[in-house]
Amino acid sequence: MTKRKMFLRMITASLLRRRSRMLIALLSIGIGATILAGLVTIYVDVPRQMGAQFRSFGANMLLLPENDQKMSPDQVDQALKVIPENQLVGAAPYRYIRVDMTTRQQSFTAAGTDFEQIMKTSPYFSVEGRFPQNSREILVGKEIAETIGVREGSDMELTWQPPVSAAGEESSAERKAGTALSGSAEGWGGGKVYVTAQLDDDARITSLTIDAGTQTPEIGGMTQTDGAFKGQFIGKTLPLTLGEDVDALSGATVTSTAVVEALNTARSAETVQTAKTLKYTVTGILTTGGEEESYLFMSLEDMAHLTGGESVDAAELSVSASAEELETYANQITESAGGVRARLVKRVTRSETAVLGKLQSLVFLVTAVVLILTMICVSTTMMAVVSERRREIGLRKALGASDGSIRKEFLGEGMFLGLLGGVIGALLGFVFAQVVSVNVFGSSITFQPLLLPAAVIVSMAVAALSCLQPIRRAVAIDPAIVLKDE
Amino acid sequence: MSLLELKNISKIYGDLKALDNVSISVEKGEWVAIMGPSGSGKSTMMNIIGCMDKPTLGEVLLDGVDIAKESSKKLTDIRRDKIGLIFQQFHMVNYLTAVENVMVSQYYHSLPDEQEALEALEKVGLRERAHHLPSQLSGGEQQRVCVARALINHPELILADEPTGNLDEANENIVLDLFAQLHAEGTTLIVVTHDPEVAEAAQRTIVLEHGRVAREVVNENFEEQQKVWLERLKARKDEIK
Repeated sequence: MTKRKMFLRMITASLLRRRSRMLIALLSIGIGATILAGLVTIYVDVPRQMGAQFRSFGANMLLLPENDQKMSPDQVDQALKVIPENQLVGAAPYRYIRVDMTTRQQSFTAAGTDFEQIMKTSPYFSVEGRFPQNSREILVGKEIAETIGVREGSDMELTWQPPVSAAGEESSAERKAGTALSGSAEGWGGGKVYVTAQLDDDARITSLTIDAGTQTPEIGGMTQTDGAFKGQFIGKTLPLTLGEDVDALSGATVTSTAVVEALNTARSAETVQTAKTLKYTVTGILTTGGEEESYLFMSLEDMAHLTGGESVDAAELSVSASAEELETYANQITESAGGVRARLVKRVTRSETAVLGKLQSLVFLVTAVVLILTMICVSTTMMAVVSERRREIGLRKALGASDGSIRKEFLGEGMFLGLLGGVIGALLGFVFAQVVSVNVFGSSITFQPLLLPAAVIVSMAVAALSCLQPIRRAVAIDPAIVLKDE
Repeated sequence: MSLLELKNISKIYGDLKALDNVSISVEKGEWVAIMGPSGSGKSTMMNIIGCMDKPTLGEVLLDGVDIAKESSKKLTDIRRDKIGLIFQQFHMVNYLTAVENVMVSQYYHSLPDEQEALEALEKVGLRERAHHLPSQLSGGEQQRVCVARALINHPELILADEPTGNLDEANENIVLDLFAQLHAEGTTLIVVTHDPEVAEAAQRTIVLEHGRVAREVVNENFEEQQKVWLERLKARKDEIK
């Protein structure tokens, strides 16, 4: 038999045949390891847990279009690719338009969005009723609901007007080379005159169609067909001034003026829509305590149906990541120059970081205290073990055990206890952490495989450290004295 | 050359002289009893011979080496290699079986050998009880395990401190018979006792009083007595068979 085998045989015999005493030592190490493993698990898991908690306070990142334009869904998707899927809690797109409620002569801001995503990014949205699920359903902010007196189940008729007045300002951008333009202006007697023009690559007019059906046929109506009148527009660039760039059709000055104005205010044909009125059913009243209460919410699809186009004004993101990670993602999105820039909602990310830091240092402190308590407990138990076994130690020394052997045997027993305690602690600790997590944070945690070796190593180290003083005492035992004791 | 020679040793604790200029010598193969009332310095002498204590003055030559001048670490080595100890209270490791207790001695000395340990137990008539814990053994049986443990490493000297002090007469006889056998095999035996009967079993008795050698008594009947005991031992063994 080798010495090692005998060593193990002695240690296991000591632990197995002196159960009661060893159980106490094992218990103290086990409990210590349990609390440690539990706290470490929570410590590791806290950022995720707290992240989830903080996500309920709303989005922590905003995606906005560059240069105050709009973003296409593709651009948003492209930007979202920067954020790892498992960290992206939700991303709600927003498109804002003004809608009129014709029956009450009032207009409101309507937001087109994705309700499923809103539930993730803005869990604080409190809806009396339910979120819209089908088309032609809307959610009404509490403020609006109170103003106009709608309830869940009410119908609302909403009208969208194409933004005519704004056309002039944005026409330069819209009058891009190679596009078709269309526009309208009031002519004789308030009748509308419609124009459609085709621009070439240098933004010069290549063709012009005039619809002056509302004008007097033999006067203003002539603008539709008069080749000389229409011909003078060809090759010109907008805007035009009547009397300088082009001349009015004689006798039809008002209509001619309308044609020029219609051209000058014309917008890209694709964006030109006519007013549309649709009927919606209110599914719920929204309370948030914020400005959302003065908005109407409908799905992006419904909004596209009403206005055409699917670009969005902003997207709110809820990302479960540390402040540094968020910063990195935001920079990456902005620098990738996809026409999208990302902005962090500092109010949320800052307080998250601060609370996390406090919580982690609290857990750290408790862990340290538990570690020290465990060491005191194990040390006391081992001290009792040593004094209980003074005679045995004396006998071993009398039989020729060197100080080194005595050290080795007690350290061996201590580390063996540490090993057992560590394994028990890691498993119970996980259960402990799970219970805490479920009760405090309301979500379960996954077992960290690394926890087992870590708990075992730490408890073995703690056990070894705790054994130092008892071992010193054991080594100091004088066999001549203890063996004579009656 | 004597196996053990104490030359003018004294052990002084403050004002108390536990041993006062004592000189004795023990030859190889000899069976010597050290006797005296309590307080006579028996235990101190036992500790010094057993390498568990050092004299304040004097030389202790074991196999020609002066152990009085060695470090305690070196003393441990000498004790392990040359001396087999037997105690009054037996002293077994209470969570190890009989055979494991014998093996502990092997473990510190060289290598544990269960077969050899079992043979040693056979020699003291306890082969059948080898896997019992001390709590399952009688006092006499425990002391026999301790005899087996003391002789397992073939020490030059077996030092027994009141080996029969906690035993009844029957068990005392068994242990003394075993000593007779060890003596017959050439083992040097030093038995410290206050019991005249046990002392009389030895070849020579050194009587201590007040830390000094009061007298030495040589056992005239030793040979005869030895014969009787060995026969008794043999008879007992035959009985077991």
